[in-house]
Amino acid sequence: MRNIWLIAKREYLERIRTKAFIIMTVLIPVLMGGLVFGGGYLAFSTRSTSHVAVVAADAAFADGVKRELEDGKGAHMRVDTPPPTPQTEAALNAALRDNENDLVGYLWVTPPAAAEARPVFRYKPRSAGDIATEQNLKDAIKVVLTRERLTRQGMSLAEIDALLLPVDVDTSATGSSKTAFGAAYLLFFLMYMVIMLYGMNTARSIIEEKTSRVFEVMLSTITPDQMLAGKLFGVGAVGLTQIGIWMTAAGLLSYTPFAAALGGGVHLLITPVQIFFFVAYFIFAFLLYSSIAVALGAMTNSEQELQQLNMFLVMPLAFCVVMIFSIINAPDSTLAKVVSLIPFCSPLLMNFRISLGHPQPWEIVTSFVLMSLSIVAILYVASRIYRVGILMYGKKPSVGEMLRWLRYS
Amino acid sequence: MNPIVDLRNIRKVYDSKVAVEGLSLRIEAGTMFGLLGPNGSGKTSSIRMMIGITAPDSGTVSLFGQPFTREALRRVGYLPEERGLYKKMKVMEQLIFLGQLRGLSPAVASARAHAWCERLLISDAVDKRTEALSKGMQQKIQFIASLLHEPELIIMDEPFSGLDPVNAALLMDTLVSLREDGKAILFSTHRMDQVEKLCDEIAIIYKGRLVLEGGMQAIKSRYPANRVHISYAGDGGFLRHPAIQSVKNYPGQAEIRLNDGADAQALLAAALAGGARITSFQVVEPTLEEIFIETIGSNVDA
Repeated sequence: MRNIWLIAKREYLERIRTKAFIIMTVLIPVLMGGLVFGGGYLAFSTRSTSHVAVVAADAAFADGVKRELEDGKGAHMRVDTPPPTPQTEAALNAALRDNENDLVGYLWVTPPAAAEARPVFRYKPRSAGDIATEQNLKDAIKVVLTRERLTRQGMSLAEIDALLLPVDVDTSATGSSKTAFGAAYLLFFLMYMVIMLYGMNTARSIIEEKTSRVFEVMLSTITPDQMLAGKLFGVGAVGLTQIGIWMTAAGLLSYTPFAAALGGGVHLLITPVQIFFFVAYFIFAFLLYSSIAVALGAMTNSEQELQQLNMFLVMPLAFCVVMIFSIINAPDSTLAKVVSLIPFCSPLLMNFRISLGHPQPWEIVTSFVLMSLSIVAILYVASRIYRVGILMYGKKPSVGEMLRWLRYS
Repeated sequence: MNPIVDLRNIRKVYDSKVAVEGLSLRIEAGTMFGLLGPNGSGKTSSIRMMIGITAPDSGTVSLFGQPFTREALRRVGYLPEERGLYKKMKVMEQLIFLGQLRGLSPAVASARAHAWCERLLISDAVDKRTEALSKGMQQKIQFIASLLHEPELIIMDEPFSGLDPVNAALLMDTLVSLREDGKAILFSTHRMDQVEKLCDEIAIIYKGRLVLEGGMQAIKSRYPANRVHISYAGDGGFLRHPAIQSVKNYPGQAEIRLNDGADAQALLAAALAGGARITSFQVVEPTLEEIFIETIGSNVDA
């Protein structure tokens, strides 16, 4: 026990004294916050300013679409409304081909065959991947068609405008829902970063000891298992320290007079429940991913070789990022429940669902049980690979050799 | 008295390669023991088994008269061939850390480390980061680290490789004084010339097997003193004397090997008679290196 403590202490002090630790502590939340809130703000406030053409025999319809696109909800476009002649089509095609006036596409409206039917819309973009403009056009057409139909039903313009106004929902009692969602999102990416960072740190510290050949000296005094345990505790404690700093800072921002002074917008940024689960899930995630990293580090001889293998760490995390979009839409769907119970995903996805306030207590408990079992299993294998791998220099072992390592005592 | 190290018939196979085969060794207290052999002959593998870094496939390892346990490692100081230190740590922090791992209190570790640094003339390096030091300096630090806990058995794998002659001599002197304190010292080397004057006992391993073992003097006395080193000027015609089996002739010097049973005196007389001026004439035993080559040669034939 004393040896484990000594190893952990050395590992901890060496890491925490570095400039990199201080820089990361400040930079990660700033970058993450900037990304989540800044990105969110930009996505909500940016309007498309593309240049399109709308060609319709019905000039009123073309003008309606033009008005929506030039000054609508999500668009701030430039719109031409040339008359529907064959020359126009040829000219537009040429303009698209030659990229004239930044024209990104044109909408060709063919009048309906029957009076009550919808016109036929044909959109020709310069780039097939431009889904944003296409969506803007669809929205605009829908509004114009609705207006037309309502007018025909006998409603006045004023009545129609009132009907189509956006809805306001007052959420001031619980704080801005956008901010709360942003905080959940922020925690998700913060978790992603720290798992990645500390998993890699574990692997890197093993490689460092391997390349500096310090293992043989150590192994003449202590066992590989003690060494491994000390390393995990040491690196993990650094992670907890960093998270501790962040969470304290978040708490201060959320719950002190200082927070009130900043105004209502930031209040209740992160709740104590979120902080508790973030720390708990980090501990488990760290042990889980570090166990893999231990095996990766023991197998390889250099950072470069590690880079080739770090997809084993990245893949599960990337999977979580993909899954988060369906969880945002339906946090309690069967899919969300299942993926958030996968041990590699629980720290990210279950934690995210907790932020959104949805999972049942049994789901949370189950996720911790499954993670614990996985940690024990992976650590068992990893410690065996570690035991042999740390004294192996030279070429990277084959899968067959690795399996043999597992049997060595 | 029980030997400090007692290996009985140990064997280690890595995959298909036999690293050590049927090796038995005994090392007594107060002995300087040289483990010799060319690169890749199994020296490091044997040492690793001796201190439990790897386990032998068969055979037994006893330290201090007891079957091997990790407890015994507290009484062993080990300098591995693959030397390593934590690069970012300061020298003194590092020594204290390694001392603590071997069961010392920080205060004791610090006091001993300072004393050793003074003894090995590296006191001014104690506050530097390890990575800022030269390789030789780092080696001295490791040397110190392996001795901090005052082990009774000191095992050093190639302790002098990479050191300049002055520092190598410094470490050799230190080892000699440790032997005088009654410690058992084992070191391995592929440089035979280094161990001749240093070792009480040697073992030569070749391709994982023990080919020669015993007291330094006993081994040497088994081989006749049939080498002659001559420094001369003038006529070198005596070098064709019938007593000579082979000769390496350098300018003004010759290293001669005599035929079995031939008398060196006759050669000297012939040289003088031939008109050469002899400034030095020395009859010597074969060097360890020559014994080694001879032993391996006969072993290959066998």
